[in-house]
Amino acid sequence: MKLTTEQYQALEHELDSLKQQVQAQLGEHDARYIRRVLLLQRLSALSGRVLMVLGFITPWLWLLGVLLLALAKILDNMEIGHNVLHGQYDWMNDPVLHSKRYEWDIACDAGSWQRTHNFEHHTYTNIIGKDRDFGYGLLRLSNDFRWRLRNLWQGGTYLLLSMLFQWGVSYHELAGQRVFAGKKKTDRLTQVSDSALKKAFFSKGARQLLKDYGFFPLIAGPMWLWVLTGNLLANLIRNVWTSTVIFCGHFTQDVHVFTAAQCEGESRGQWYYRQMLGSSNFTGPTWLHILTGHLSCQIEHHLFPDIPARHYPAMAKQVQAVAVKYGIPYNSGSFVRQYGTVFWRILRYSLPGGEKALKTL
Amino acid sequence: MDQLLLRLWRSFCLMLGNQPTLRLYFLPLLQRCWPGYMPHLYRATLLDKQWQTDDMLQLTLQVSGRWPGFVPGQHIVLSINHNGRYLSRTFSICSSLKLWHSQRHIQLCCKVNAQGGVTPLLQQLQTGTMLSISKAQGDFYWQQPANAAVFIAAGSGITPIAAMLLSQRHWLAPVTLYYRCRGEENAALLSALQQLATKQPLFSLQLSDSRIEPAAHLQAECCANANAKQFYLCGPAAFMQHMRAALISSGVSAAHIKQEQFGLALLMPVITPGQQAGSTEPLTARFIRAGTATEITLNNQQSLLQNAEQHGLSPRFGCRMGVCFQCVCDKVSGQVRDIRSGVLSGHGSEQIQLCVSQPVTELVIKL
Repeated sequence: MKLTTEQYQALEHELDSLKQQVQAQLGEHDARYIRRVLLLQRLSALSGRVLMVLGFITPWLWLLGVLLLALAKILDNMEIGHNVLHGQYDWMNDPVLHSKRYEWDIACDAGSWQRTHNFEHHTYTNIIGKDRDFGYGLLRLSNDFRWRLRNLWQGGTYLLLSMLFQWGVSYHELAGQRVFAGKKKTDRLTQVSDSALKKAFFSKGARQLLKDYGFFPLIAGPMWLWVLTGNLLANLIRNVWTSTVIFCGHFTQDVHVFTAAQCEGESRGQWYYRQMLGSSNFTGPTWLHILTGHLSCQIEHHLFPDIPARHYPAMAKQVQAVAVKYGIPYNSGSFVRQYGTVFWRILRYSLPGGEKALKTL
Repeated sequence: MDQLLLRLWRSFCLMLGNQPTLRLYFLPLLQRCWPGYMPHLYRATLLDKQWQTDDMLQLTLQVSGRWPGFVPGQHIVLSINHNGRYLSRTFSICSSLKLWHSQRHIQLCCKVNAQGGVTPLLQQLQTGTMLSISKAQGDFYWQQPANAAVFIAAGSGITPIAAMLLSQRHWLAPVTLYYRCRGEENAALLSALQQLATKQPLFSLQLSDSRIEPAAHLQAECCANANAKQFYLCGPAAFMQHMRAALISSGVSAAHIKQEQFGLALLMPVITPGQQAGSTEPLTARFIRAGTATEITLNNQQSLLQNAEQHGLSPRFGCRMGVCFQCVCDKVSGQVRDIRSGVLSGHGSEQIQLCVSQPVTELVIKL
């Protein structure tokens, strides 16, 4: 199935006008919303850290503290950090919530994230060889990639990546640029020197380690081991949650991949079309959307990455109507179903063969 | 040593809260306790607003006691929160020191530009609204009140000059104010200045109606007996440039002329290093956005923002006068001049504001 040039133009026009419609409404409501989330994030981080120390009264307080700290980290990374770094709230001129100023509670340096995610992944979504987010150079997720021996145990690799996800994210750009190992690729755009990459990687990573496993355990005195374990657990919960959400966005059963040649000189309408085929949504209650940073509406996020994410669920209805109109598949399902297909994909392609996900444009 | 401690403290804050100061980390909590709180700014309550003329709105603000005060002639950045956005503009203080010392009030006289993004919002502000103001800034003030002085104001340029004159307590030498405007009904702050003129024999007020009197006439009048006087100019850029040229050609030394400008200066011609005066060899700049580079030929009589826009690049911008920092971007290499101050930048990598940067050498800029 292929759209005609006129259809691509009409698609472009419809999605552009949907975007403008929402952009025109941005204002007080969005500002109040994101500030409330930021306040909730600060309060849960502070209370979480205090409650962990109070674990000597009853371990239940410690457990509550761990969950609150994990919640704080998830809110900071997903609904606040990811979205702010996309520039969704730049129009507010806020001293904190600005894409040029925000730094988040994760091992990955914000600047590095903006280069690999905002630029590479969002521009070249699911293009083989250009979007390293499809499998992260570790996992074979379709038969468009050659099978290697290491794919045999990629189920284990996936679980490990999931648990250490923040470090994977932080190392992502250095791996792409072959900073420590491997042969330099000539076709990669180098925006930052290797030494600057290394410096950002080590200093941000060290600050995060020092905070969670040095400073806070130290000031907890005799409760140091509880705090250290609690922080480890909170980081683990955040890692597993973020990786699960992100995997559901691009690696579900029906997502498609593309080749660089296909996308050469594509129009904006074709870009929209590719974004819709390369992403997948999952459904759920409002709180679930917030905990995913609205990446549950991955399709809308990929169409409109700079629109404040709280608008995605409402936009999804209109996007879906557009998809039906042009006969474009709209990949959505329950969280459990979508995650099930992701897990199956990882296991299936650990063995040779299988189907190609390549879509002809 | 202090530098080292500051750097350590910054790293510590970054470690704990991923923010350069802890105040920014706790900002959501601070704003919950004190609505309208902004770091590095001071809270001010709008007490009254009054139209001075058709387009000059006077705001009276009750200012937080922590605000360090001002020297008459200085300006502040006023920041309002409108529809979720923080918007800021620079305004001169037009009220006297006495009002500040006795009641903690200051007044601003704001020219409302109907097409502007911010000033039309000022008239919608309700009294009692919480605003933020910066510390007072600027070096336009009355330096030697013992010497004879001539003040020349045009239009909204009266605001800092009114503050200087109304704040003066001990008059030692004759002072003349030439106030150029479109008739008395368009002269902001006129009644206060007229009162001062009747009370104070050393002060004389000369209105110059721009609809009747040609500018050359005013220039000739100011230049007569100009010796040994201090001159203070404030008004539109072109008006001041001509007035200044006239004063200098009649023998006033540049050191005796102080001026304050609203908006951007007219750009002075630039001679780039390694380039002869009058040479027309064009400069080029490479703008890099999201990895793709665009090479453009620069007009060095315009800001980089204008240059970029004329070539179809549309960099983010805001106030276009160096206030809001929306157009800040990374200069990778090359030299620029700050249009406001004339200061030359370094040649290396640093952040610049496109709207107030004039190209001096070949440039590489990341948008």
